[in-house]
Parts: sequence; structure tokens; C-alpha cells
Amino acid sequence: MRNWMFVLLALVSVSVLAVEDNYGFDDPEQRVLFLKLTAELRCPMCQNQNIADSDAMIAHDMRRKVYTLLKQGKSEEEIITYMKDRYGDFVYYKPPVTAATIWLWALPLVFIFVVLFLVMRRPSKAPLPDQGAKLKQAEAMLKQDKS
Amino acid sequence: MKKIGFFLIPLGIFLVLVVFLFQGLFSDPRELDSQVKDKQVPAFSLPDLMQPDVTYTQDVFNGEVTILNVWGVWCVTCAVEMPYLTKLKEEQKVNFVGLYFDQDLDPDFGTKTLTRVQEEVTGMLSRYGNPYQYNIFDVYRDTSLDLGVTGAPEHFLIDSRGVVRMHHIGDINPRVWENKIGPLYDQLVAEQQTNVAGSR
Repeated sequence: MRNWMFVLLALVSVSVLAVEDNYGFDDPEQRVLFLKLTAELRCPMCQNQNIADSDAMIAHDMRRKVYTLLKQGKSEEEIITYMKDRYGDFVYYKPPVTAATIWLWALPLVFIFVVLFLVMRRPSKAPLPDQGAKLKQAEAMLKQDKS
Repeated sequence: MKKIGFFLIPLGIFLVLVVFLFQGLFSDPRELDSQVKDKQVPAFSLPDLMQPDVTYTQDVFNGEVTILNVWGVWCVTCAVEMPYLTKLKEEQKVNFVGLYFDQDLDPDFGTKTLTRVQEEVTGMLSRYGNPYQYNIFDVYRDTSLDLGVTGAPEHFLIDSRGVVRMHHIGDINPRVWENKIGPLYDQLVAEQQTNVAGSR
């Protein structure tokens, strides 16, 4: 019974994938590029999904547009620029380095350096007191115990 | 001195963080920086929804302040705002133009004919009021993509030179009109009138 359920589930998920994938490509590289682009472009409607995952109408339209542009022989860079021209930097998951976004990279580095600075500046601990004297004391105590 | 720093520095960091996160509470993640703002309406050549022989281009926006309203009969919020838009049109002579698109890519609606779409549009407009001068039919939704439309309803406030001055995502209701769109609309209309007077 359980095995049959698994088989059924497997069949269902395959057919769902097949519905999405109805674009024909000239060569495998183009297909790979299409999958890459739809995974990296962000849906402006469903904000935490890429256009490959989203079922919003705008995501359908953008997938279709990416496909059309690919068929026209546009490069990856050109398609990303095309989308950015219409939906802003928001539409691409990799943010450009600007005055506002530089902190994404700078803050962790700043943090590391501040911590390093604090650790280095910390005064080293006072040297340990003479161990020899303490050892002698301990030995004397031991002898006392034994006797 | 050292002790004061020991308390003040974490407190300072904490306060900065509080201010930053507090602002985040009121920021609207749907607020995108529109790419068409302060630019000419992108070029298009599209048919009228009701009379497909009539063709419109971006030049239709020259000469009059227009609010281009992106909508469709399948859009519930569009139906909600329609009576208010109609009221604005009748009371303040606001010039609304519709940019209509249908969900023809959807398998369930893919076989819909133009006549069917027109029937639905007529039905909806007679029920909720018709604010539109005319409707431009964005057949393949290319113009919507060029304008950076994310869904419906959306509104573009276009000045009399055909430049997009505001991109409003969502419906127009009395609050939005009075605080956001209305003031700029009135200003643009005033500008247009002085321009017309100046050119005479």
C-alpha cells in the first residue's frame, strides 16, 4: 500500500514539472541558460520567488520574454539588462555594488577588523608567578601528609 | 573613562539598530523604484479594445494629463475601485485611459475570443461605471512589461508631454487620491493650462 502511494506521488510530481516545461530550445546550452536566468530573475509580484517558481501572471510573461529574447540570440547580460531597465535592480537576485549596497560586503569585514583590533589591543595577562616556589610548597605539604 | 566607553558603545550600537529596524516596520516592500518615472511613455502601437481597427500609439498622451489605468475583468480590486474612478471622472473631469490585458496565457482562458472579452468588459463597465475615455488593448502584454507593470490595478500619471510622472501600484481610493495622486494631478493640470496659455 505504502509503496503504491510513493509511486503515485512520484507520477504526480513528474507531470507537474512537465506542464511548466513547454518551451523548445535550439540547443542544450540555450536551455541551460534559460533555466539559469529564470532562477536568477526575481518575480516583482511574489517577492520571495524567482520567475521560474512563481505562478503569477507577470512571472509567466517574464519567462516568455526571456524565452523570446533567447530565441532572438540575446546574451545573458543583455537579457538581465532588459529586465533591469523595466523592473530595476530589484529584479535580479545579485545586487550591484552601489553606495547603498556596499555595506553588504563591507560590514562583515569591518566587524572582523574591529574584533581583531580589540583582541590585539587587550593587555597580555600578567606573567605567572614563580612555579618553582609553589611546587616546593606542595611537595612539603605532601610530605607532611605522608608522615 | 574606559568604563563609560564600555557601556556607551554597545548602547550606541543598540540605538542605531533600533532606529534602523523601526524604520523597517513602516517600509513597504511592494514599493519598487519605477524605471519609467520621469521618462517618456515607451513606444507602442496597439488596438482599441472595442474597435480593433483603431490603433493608438504613445502620441495619444500628448496634450492632456492622463491617468493610464492597467486593469482587466479578472481583477477584483479593479472592480472595487471602478465606482470611485467613475466619480473622479464625473466630478473632477479626470482623464482616465484603460490599458487592458487579458489572461490569455492561462490555459483555462486561452481560447477566449475577442468578442467574449468585449462582452465581459461591457458587462463590468455597465455594472460598476465606466471611467475610461477608451481602452487600449495590450494584446501580448508587451507594453505592460515595458512600463514595469507587476499586476493589476496599477496607474501611471502621465503629463501633457507624454512623460510618466508617477507609477502607483494598487487601487485608487479616496485616501490615496487625496494624499498621493490628487495633489500631483492638480499641479500637472495647472502646468498644462499655463503652458497652453503661454503658447497662445
